[in-house]
Amino acid sequence: MKLIFTIALRNLFRHKGKSLVIGIILFLGAFIMTIGNGIITGLNSGLQENIVNKFTGDIVLISEKQESNAVIISMMGKPIEMINNYTLIKKLLQGLPYIDKYIPLAQGTAMLLNEDGEPDFNFLLGVNFEEYQKMFGNLKVIEGRLPKVGERGLLLTDMNRKTNYEYLLNAWVIPPNTKVVTSNFSQEAKLSFEQHKLKIIDSMIFMGMNEKNSALDIKPSIIGVIKFKALNSFFGYLNLIDIESFRECFGYVTAQDSASSLDKDKSKLLAMESENLDDLFSDKQLFVQEKVNQNDYSLNNLQTKLEKKVTTNINLDNGTYNQVYIKLKPGTKLDNAVKKLNISLKKNNLGVKAITWKQALGEMADMATVIKVALFVFVMFIFFVAIIIIMNTLSMAALERIPEIGMMRAIGARKSFVALMFFYETLFMSLVFGGAGIVVGAIVIKILSLMNITTTNEMIQLVFGGDKFHPFLTVMDFVLCAIQLLIVTVIATIYPILVASRIKPLDAINRD
Amino acid sequence: MNIIELNNVTKNYPLGNTTVHALRGIDLNISKGDLVSIIGPSGSGKTTLLNIIGCIDTPTSGSVKIEQQDISTLSDKKTTDLRLFKIGFIFQTFNLIPVLNVLENVEFPLLLMKKHSKDEIRNKSIKLLSEVGLQDHINHKPAELSGGQRQRVAIARALITEPSIILADEPTANLDSKTGEQILNIMKEINSKEHTTFIFSTHDHDVLKYAKRIIKIKDGVIDGEENQ
Ligand SMILES: Nc1ncnc2c1ncn2[C@@H]1O[C@H](COP(=O)(O)OP(=O)(O)OP(=O)(O)O)[C@@H](O)[C@H]1O
Ligand SMILES: [Mg+2]
Repeated sequence: MKLIFTIALRNLFRHKGKSLVIGIILFLGAFIMTIGNGIITGLNSGLQENIVNKFTGDIVLISEKQESNAVIISMMGKPIEMINNYTLIKKLLQGLPYIDKYIPLAQGTAMLLNEDGEPDFNFLLGVNFEEYQKMFGNLKVIEGRLPKVGERGLLLTDMNRKTNYEYLLNAWVIPPNTKVVTSNFSQEAKLSFEQHKLKIIDSMIFMGMNEKNSALDIKPSIIGVIKFKALNSFFGYLNLIDIESFRECFGYVTAQDSASSLDKDKSKLLAMESENLDDLFSDKQLFVQEKVNQNDYSLNNLQTKLEKKVTTNINLDNGTYNQVYIKLKPGTKLDNAVKKLNISLKKNNLGVKAITWKQALGEMADMATVIKVALFVFVMFIFFVAIIIIMNTLSMAALERIPEIGMMRAIGARKSFVALMFFYETLFMSLVFGGAGIVVGAIVIKILSLMNITTTNEMIQLVFGGDKFHPFLTVMDFVLCAIQLLIVTVIATIYPILVASRIKPLDAINRD
Repeated sequence: MNIIELNNVTKNYPLGNTTVHALRGIDLNISKGDLVSIIGPSGSGKTTLLNIIGCIDTPTSGSVKIEQQDISTLSDKKTTDLRLFKIGFIFQTFNLIPVLNVLENVEFPLLLMKKHSKDEIRNKSIKLLSEVGLQDHINHKPAELSGGQRQRVAIARALITEPSIILADEPTANLDSKTGEQILNIMKEINSKEHTTFIFSTHDHDVLKYAKRIIKIKDGVIDGEENQ
């Protein structure tokens, strides 16, 4: 062994030029591979961190009737199917050990009307603000303020304000009783403002459609203008609105409707509950739950009717939603959880299904996957090129050393000796130059991460997995890099080894 | 006892559209401890014959037996081991491993054998190198040696495994007559001391006086024999 290694090593020094070529290729290959892996890992965790933690959770519940899974960026397609039994779903979710947090909400495309009655589309996300902030905490107010507990109204996104200004309203929206913040202007708004032509308004009218296609107008009070802390350019089209206003806009059952018509619906609801939940909840529990709800409504019914803007103490969960976002306990396997959850949902006949955040995101998650795959393919391509060049260089080296190798064979060196000699040569190069490539790559990744690079470019954000570029390497990545390097070494050496071990003793003699 | 038996051995080389008949039917028995010289003009087939005896070439037809073993039946691994354990080579030109120094080159076959301890190998190599007069050059690389010195390294390398057969293809062709004589004397000495079978080819008649048996070859056939 030592003998082969000594010869291999000295051969490397003897053929310095070739060794350097192979060394540089291995270095660059390993370097690029490490950088690529670092970016992919950063992208993965960035997406996880930003999308899962700040926008969607791990799992999204949607109605079983929902055709397309891509509900989060459901453009102009059909409205999202409603979920009318959230209280029952909530009961189930509460009892599942792998679920950490969840929040129901409703998303839809409403029409925004300008003063001439012309419409344009705006996305509305109906939420319970407080719960939403608690779950995701990704809102940054740039004008106005966040809603108070139970307050009704709209949080207009900075992005929508700009596009609405440009394409529809021709007016700059600010929250009532606030001053214009010039630094938040879009280019166009700034220009108009400087020419004293900027029209400023503090209210907007949204028109939603219900299933019967009847139009419903709402004029929510604008509480604040917001940006999302991460991936604002992707999710910035989502205006947040209190769920009750959303329901009014889209003709959903509001919690108030539900409260006032409780008597009428009670028997229906009760019948449904007992049908579906017999196997899961005891009658006693059901009874208690029902009683609490009834209390809620009767106490607050009058009060909320009088002061429509404040919905304190109304149980919002009794109205209609169309999605539930779920965060899993740390360490839970997503696919497993989805499977288990779906079984539970089915068993309880809840009419909803669980899908992963990626499915719910549709196109956008696909795009991230595409970029990940592209990066991977790029790394593989680098490898492929490295393999070809190393293979070629080594094969040439084998041919050049025919007399030497033939003579070794003649005096008793087996084929395996020659093969190992070549393998050790590449292996040594891999370890030294490839290893250096990995180390330098890791250092560069660290430096890149410390540089705190940010971007507003949407494509680049997808590569970054967010606005910030935070590539990093896990121990697993290092293992992966080492394995990839070893694979390159082995593949690149197979052909040269074949060439070298085909050299016959006679070749040595005939060449003289 | 015959250590080498050749039976009607022929060797053809294809050369373009024609065939070169390098050997045209050789019958040859060599007994253990013999010192044989093969003489013949250039192109007569000396190298071809030695290569076939040394198992680095295979005959087109006929059989070759080394110590009663028919070598055509052996695998590549077995043939390689046969070369390592039974045969020593001294080639027409100097074939040393360029990246190894003199000492390491001599040690090489023994290291391949994996049968001896490091010290044993080292001591034996140094002893052999001083026998061929190279004790002061053990750390030199082949490129730093003269032709005669390299040939002596090759001899030491061929001897170190104590093979039963040593094949030397024109061992003195590239040497001045004085060095050539030195080398032939070493071979003769070992032959008488260790009873190693030596077969060397030459076309130099002066060299013949070292041989016990002279085989004349011409156009690929044996053309006569002399014992002395
Ligand atoms: N690989 C080969 N391909 C074709 N012909 C060959 C090959 N090797 C040898 N020959 C031919 O076989 C014949 C015998 O060659 P060989 O080398 O055995 O002669 P030799 O007696 O050793 O000659 P020299 O004294 O010049 O070394 C020659 O005619 C040579 O041209
Ligand atoms: Mg010859």
